[in-house]
This record gives sequence, structure tokens and C-alpha cells, in this order.
Amino acid sequence: MTGTPTPLPATPSDEDDLLAAEFVIGVQDMETRARLEDRQKRDPGFAGSVSDWEYRLDGLNDEFASAPAPDLLAGIEARLFPVATKPRRGWFGIAGASVLAASLLLAVFFTYPPAPPQAPVLATLAAADLAYEVRSDGETLQVIRIAGAPAAAGQVHELWVIAPDAAPVSLGLLAGGPLEIAYPTPPAGWLLAVSVEPTGGSPTGAPTGPVILTAEIGA
Amino acid sequence: MGVLLRMLKDRAEAEDALQEVFTRVWLRAGRFDPDKGRGMTWLIAVARNLALDLLRIRTDEQAEPDAAEAIVDQTPTAERRMIALGEAGRVSACFEQLEPSKADAVRGAYLSGLSYIDLAARHDVPLNTMRTWLRRSLISLKECLDQ
Repeated sequence: MTGTPTPLPATPSDEDDLLAAEFVIGVQDMETRARLEDRQKRDPGFAGSVSDWEYRLDGLNDEFASAPAPDLLAGIEARLFPVATKPRRGWFGIAGASVLAASLLLAVFFTYPPAPPQAPVLATLAAADLAYEVRSDGETLQVIRIAGAPAAAGQVHELWVIAPDAAPVSLGLLAGGPLEIAYPTPPAGWLLAVSVEPTGGSPTGAPTGPVILTAEIGA
Repeated sequence: MGVLLRMLKDRAEAEDALQEVFTRVWLRAGRFDPDKGRGMTWLIAVARNLALDLLRIRTDEQAEPDAAEAIVDQTPTAERRMIALGEAGRVSACFEQLEPSKADAVRGAYLSGLSYIDLAARHDVPLNTMRTWLRRSLISLKECLDQ
């Protein structure tokens, strides 16, 4: 259905709102979903439409029967903190399972997860006239421009992560200020890259403009 | 867990998905805006999104939508069980303004994760017809729910 013209007359904003509605009820194919999930991350207007539809249809959620969940804490912990042997910030090192479970709930419903003021530098992407610094605390990547200027009008810098033998995956747009991305620390050997894209980011989901900066993790 | 069980229809897969839901919730907690809505709505949205991705990937791999299974799972009386109060009542009232087959299509998508391909097969109409139906239904629902 991608590329099929809509059979209803719609203005661009109506069309966007219908795309958001279709995304929320979930009828689209994976290709469209992936594209819209990506768009949700960098288009606040579209993300707002999606969230409006989620709340609009919230009444339907009562139809999901609740089902008891088994104890999955160990598995969840393993996913969140894959390298248990690596020394972590004391905060997590001391925390026992129950403390962690309690904090998980607290973090979700009452407060934001603790963000360290300065995470270690993971990589620096630098050229003669432009540099970005990428810091990682294991859960979030923080990207800060430490030299040079943002992209020219009508363009934007887009950050990509590239696993060995894999296609680049967009991490977000580097517009004016620092960028924070919920993303684990990429392992050594992965690449980070910055390309120049039209405002709004790559229209295809893959880099379309020149790649101006790259850095290998752990290099 | 109920959301994942209903949509994925496989206990082991649902348990695995639930771990992923809580992992995502942890990583994305900063994006939750308590001013905008209830935590439960957000949590269910995270769970539904993951289940939908898994279903679409599953369908792409099988290249054969499991429409028969979806038909068996339908619970047409569920809407009547909804109490005509509060938000659930409002959604229910708005769904009643739609033609039953179209209301059924929207609910089938939202609750069971049916795709346009599944829905077109189930209602025996071309894909584009289904898309037109569904988009019209969504526009009516929006007008009704935003009143």
C-alpha cells in the first residue's frame, strides 16, 4: 500500500493525521510502520498526532483482558544491563533486584531516570571545521557539537550508527542544540557517521547526502 | 500482558515481548509526559506498538496472513460488555455510529493487530476499498470523539 494514492481528498495535514491514525490502530505494513516510527522521533507535530490518537482510542484498551505476568525481572535486568561484570556507576552496582524493581516503577510513574551530568566520551567525530562529541552512559547517547556550525539553511546534519556489514540506522538529527538518544553503548568496531540531509532528515531512511564525518567506536 | 497475549496469541512470545516492553519503558521514561495522559495509556501504547511490529515481521516472514486464526479469535460481544460510562462509553457510543462491519474492522485492527491485508481478506474487499472504509471510519470517529 506504500505509494498508493489516498482515495480520499485530503490536505497534507489531514493526510498526516490519517497516517497517524492508521499507525496507531496498526494496519500498515512493516515498511510503512518503520518509516513512521522514525518520523515520530524527529517530527514533533506528527508525534503529537500519534499521541492524540492513542488517547482518543484509549477507551478500547478496556477490552484487553488483564493477564498475570510471570516473574521476568531477571530477564529484564539482563536486557537493560547486558555487561554485568563491567564496573558500573555505584548507583547500579549496589542496587539489589528489589531496589531496582522499585526504582523502575518509580522512574516510570513519578520521575525521570537519573541522568549523570557527564557521561564518558564514546567517540569524537571531527573534521577541519566541524566536530561532534558523543558521550554514552550505557542508556543514552548525548551528542554535542564542540566545533564548527550547524548545517546551512535547508539542510541538517543526521547522525547514523552502522554495525559491521549492516545498513546505517538513523539516530537522529543534529540541529541546533545537543541531541539525546535512548540508545545503548554501541560496541567497538561499530561506526558513527554524520551526513548532510535536507531539513527534516533523510527522506529514504538511508543517508542521501554526503557523509562528512565518521568515527569508529573504540578506535 | 493481556495486550500481548491477545495480539501475539503465543505465550512464550508474549512473555519475551513483555520483557522488551519493560526494557523500552525504562529507556524511554524521559519521553513520558505526565501532563498529557495516564501512565497506563502510555504503557499500553508501548506494548501495542511492539506487538504490531512483531506481527508485521512475522507476516512478512510467512508471506501468508493468518486470517483464519484471526476470525476465530473475534469477540463481537466485547463491545456490548463495555459499560456506557466515561471514556470507554464514549468510544463505544462513537463506534455504534459506524456501520457494524466497519466498526468491526477498526476494532479488529486495534485489538487483534490485523493489517490492511488481513482486513481486506476477512471482509472480502480489495485492499484500496478497505483502506477507504477505514479512513472514512477514522475520520468519523475523530469527529465523534473530539466533540
